[in-house]
Amino acid sequence: MTRTGRTRARTVAATVLAMAASLLVGASMTSTAAQASTSEGVVCETSPSNSFNLTATSGYILTPDGNSIFMWGYAGASGLFQLPGPTMCVPEGATVTVTLKNLLREPVSVLFPGQTGVTADGQTAQPVLDTSVPPKVTSLVKPAAASGGTVTYSFVAARPGTYLYESGTDVAKQVQMGLYGALIVRPANAGTIIDGQAYDDPASVFDPQHEYLHLLSEIDPVVHLAVERNRTFDLSQLRARYFLINGRSMPDTIAPNSAAWLPSQPYGAMVHILPKPVGATNFKPALIRYLNAGTGTYPFHPHGNDQRVIGQDGYPLIAAGAADTSYEKFLIDIGPGQTVDSTLVWSNVEAWDATSDPIPVDLPPLQDQIVTPDSWFSESPYLGQVGDLPTTVTSNNQCGEYYHVAHSHALQQATNYGATFGGMMTLIRIDPPQPSNCPAVTP
Amino acid sequence: MNEPVDTSTSTGPVIGRRSLLRGGAVLAMGAAAGGWLATREAAVAGVSRPAAVPVYRAPFQQEQTLHLAATDGWVSMPKPPGAAIGAFWPDSMAPPHYNVYAFGFRDVTSLSPTELTPRVLAEKEHAQISAPILGFDQYVKQADGSDNAVRITLSNLGLAVRPDLVDGHTVHWHGFTNAIPLFDGVPELSISVPIGRSFTYYYRPHDPGTFMYHCHFEDVEHVQMGMTGVVYVRPERNTATQKYAYDNVATAYDREFTFMLTELWAEGHYRDAHIQTTDWTDFKPSFWLMNGRAYPDTLEPSSNPLSTGPDPLSASGESLRYNPISSLVRCLPGEKVLLRIANLGYQHHAMTLDGIPMTVVAKDASPLVDSTVNLTYQTSTVEVGPGESRDVIFDAPPNPGTTPLKFRLYDRNYAYLNNAGDSGYGGQMTEVWVYPAGQLGPQSAANA
Repeated sequence: MTRTGRTRARTVAATVLAMAASLLVGASMTSTAAQASTSEGVVCETSPSNSFNLTATSGYILTPDGNSIFMWGYAGASGLFQLPGPTMCVPEGATVTVTLKNLLREPVSVLFPGQTGVTADGQTAQPVLDTSVPPKVTSLVKPAAASGGTVTYSFVAARPGTYLYESGTDVAKQVQMGLYGALIVRPANAGTIIDGQAYDDPASVFDPQHEYLHLLSEIDPVVHLAVERNRTFDLSQLRARYFLINGRSMPDTIAPNSAAWLPSQPYGAMVHILPKPVGATNFKPALIRYLNAGTGTYPFHPHGNDQRVIGQDGYPLIAAGAADTSYEKFLIDIGPGQTVDSTLVWSNVEAWDATSDPIPVDLPPLQDQIVTPDSWFSESPYLGQVGDLPTTVTSNNQCGEYYHVAHSHALQQATNYGATFGGMMTLIRIDPPQPSNCPAVTP
Repeated sequence: MNEPVDTSTSTGPVIGRRSLLRGGAVLAMGAAAGGWLATREAAVAGVSRPAAVPVYRAPFQQEQTLHLAATDGWVSMPKPPGAAIGAFWPDSMAPPHYNVYAFGFRDVTSLSPTELTPRVLAEKEHAQISAPILGFDQYVKQADGSDNAVRITLSNLGLAVRPDLVDGHTVHWHGFTNAIPLFDGVPELSISVPIGRSFTYYYRPHDPGTFMYHCHFEDVEHVQMGMTGVVYVRPERNTATQKYAYDNVATAYDREFTFMLTELWAEGHYRDAHIQTTDWTDFKPSFWLMNGRAYPDTLEPSSNPLSTGPDPLSASGESLRYNPISSLVRCLPGEKVLLRIANLGYQHHAMTLDGIPMTVVAKDASPLVDSTVNLTYQTSTVEVGPGESRDVIFDAPPNPGTTPLKFRLYDRNYAYLNNAGDSGYGGQMTEVWVYPAGQLGPQSAANA
C-alpha cells in the first residue's frame, strides 16, 4: 500500500512542533506515549504544565481483513498521525491548554464535552455563526483555519473522570473521519494526583497497574474513500462496516501498545488481570474507561464476570455506604458521546485442580472437538496448571492463563465487514496468581 | 458459516446452487421436506392445549441435568395478506405452514438425558425459536458434599438444509459470573461441538437472576438465526409458597413470564437456506420478536414441538409448532407479576406497559436493592439494550368485572410494531390479561 500521506504528515509535523515550542514559552511537553515502556493498558500523554499540542492531519489505518482506510486524526507530541488522538492525562484542578495546528484542507476544531469555562484564543468558547440571516452555525467552537491555522483552547479540569475530545466542526463528517481522543482527569490534592483512584471518593479505588481505555468508534469506508478522493457522499446513508476499540479491530485490539505492525494505531485494548483471591477485602480492581465516539449506542459485553459501573460522563456513582449508586452489569451500554468508568474483578471461585478437584465432566478428545486455525485454545479448566495434565486436557497457552472475550453485543459490530470474531472485540486475560510461570504484569 | 465445500463453481440462479447441492433432486428434496410434516398436518380442533414449555423445577439437593440439541429447521412469521419481502420471504423452499429458515436449540431431555439416540437424531431439521426457557435453582452444597450443580449436554445434530456446512455449536451462558473459559462457549477460546458429537457443560449457578444463553459459534450468524433463550436462576430463599426473583424480600412475586427479545432479518435467513453468504453489517430486520413470535402470534398459547401427533392447536396454530413459546401474561388482581425481559437482538428496545406501573428490581441479573441501598425505580417504559436483561415487577390492578381486563405490553419504538413492513400492528407486542378473582388457577410454569 502507499503511504505518501503519512510521510507528508511526519515532515510537516516536525515543523509544527518547532513552531509550537516557540509559541508556548515554558510549555515543555513530554510524552510517555512516544517512548512507551508499557505494552498494555492506558498510555497517557502528560505535560508538567498541562499544555498539549494537537495536529489535525491525515493518514491511514490498517484493518484486520487487509484493508487500509484513509483517516483524519489528532497527532500528539510526536506530530505523527495516529488514531485515536493521544490520551491526555491531567490532574484535577489543572489549567489545561491545548493548541491545535490544522494541516487539513478545511477548518477543524476541538470540542471538550463535559468541560466548563472553555476558552478559545482567550475568548469564551462559543459556536461560530456566519453572516447569513438568520445566521447559521459553521462550527460548535472556534476552529483553526484550513491548511496551517492554529487555535488555542484552555479550561480548568474541574472534575475527575473520563472525557472525550473531538472535532466541533462539520461534526458528522470530521468525527467519522477520526478526529477524536480521550482526556483523563485524575483526582488530585493541590495538583498532586491521588494515585489509584478514579474520583475524589476513596471508594473509587483501582489498581493503577491495571487501567484500560476502550474508546469505541466505527467506520463507513465509503465516506473515507470519498473524502480521500474529494468526492461527495451522503452521511444520511452512513453504514458502518468496521468497529473499533482504540482505533483497532479484533484481533489487532489484543496486540501490544505501539505494535510495530500497526504504526498509526498505537493503543492496544487487551485487559490483563490477576484473580481476586476469594474473600479478599483489600484487593484493588482493574479500571476500564469506556468512551463512545460513534453515532449509536454500543452495547459492550465483557465475558467472565460482571463489571461495576462507578461513574458516567465524569460524574461518580460510587461512594461509601448508602450514598453508593454504583451498580453491577454484564453489559456496559455506552451512548454516543458518553463515557462510562467501570471496575472489574474476577475470582477463581471453582478453583478446579487437575489432581485434587478435577472438573466433573469428560473433556472430549481433540478429534471430537472443532479445532481450526481460528481456535485460540485456553481450553484447560485448570488455571495456571501446566505440565502433566489429564490425557484429554489441552493447554496450549503460555502459562495456564485464561482468556475471555469482551465485545459489542450488537453482533454485527463484532465483525470486520461482516466477518465474525472481529470488530469491536478484545480479550480479557486472566493470569494465575503470582508467583507463576507468567511474565510479570507491569505497565 | 463454515464452508469447507467450495460451491462457488455454481453461478446459476439460486435454485441452481440448491440443485447442485442436492444432486439435482430439487423437487424430490421439497417432497422429502414435506414428508416429515405430512404426519403432522391434520390439525385437531378443540383438543386442550399442551403444557407450557418445559421448565425444570428440580428440587434442591438434586443435580439439574438437561439435554439440548442444536440443529436447523423451519419456523413461521405472521403473514399479512399479500406481504412479501422480495424473493426472501416467505421462503419458497419452506415446507407447508412455515416460511422462514432458522437455527435453534431443542430440549430433548425427555428423549434421552445425554445420548444421541435415534429418537434424538430424528429432531434434526426441527429447531425451534426461541430456545427452551431454562430455570434452575441457585447452587447449594450440602454438608454431606452433595449439590445441585447444573449439567447441560449439548448435541450437534447438524444442519439438514445445509449438508455442505460443518458448523459447530456451543452454549454461552450470558452473564454467568466468575466464569471459566472452558464452559463459556466461545469456540475460539474453548470447545465447540462438531456435528454428531456432544459435550456437557457444568455450572454452579451461584447467583440468582435473569440471564440468557445462546450459541457463540460464528455468533453474528447463529444468534440471528435463532439460537437464543432465557435462563434464570431461582434464589435459595424460595419456599414452597413464596417465590423471589433475588435474595431480597422486595423481589417477591406470584407469577413469572420471560421475554426473549430478538429481531429476524428475513434476507439473512433466506441466504443461509439458499447457500449464499451474507454481509452481516447490512443487518436490516424484517420482524421484531418476543419469544420467537411476532404479534399477534405472541398471544397464542405455548405449543409442544415434541408432540408426535397432530398439533393440538388450531389449523392456523400448526404453524407455531416451532415457535412454541407464548408471551401472553395472565394473572389475578393483586398478584405480583415478574417480567424477565432479555434482549439478544442487535437493537435497543423500550418495552412499555400501558396502564400498569412497573418497578425495575434488577438489571443484568444484578438486583437494584440490597441491605444498604435501594436503587429500584418505577417506570412505564423499560429500556433494554442488546445483551441486557431487566427484572420488572408489577401489581396486577383490580378487576371488578366478569371478563379479563386487557393491557398491552409492547416496544415503544413504533417502527418495530409491524410485520414485514405491514401497516397493521405486529412485532414486539403482547397483552396482559387480569382475570376476575378466582378465575385463574395457580401458575404451573413460567409463561403458563
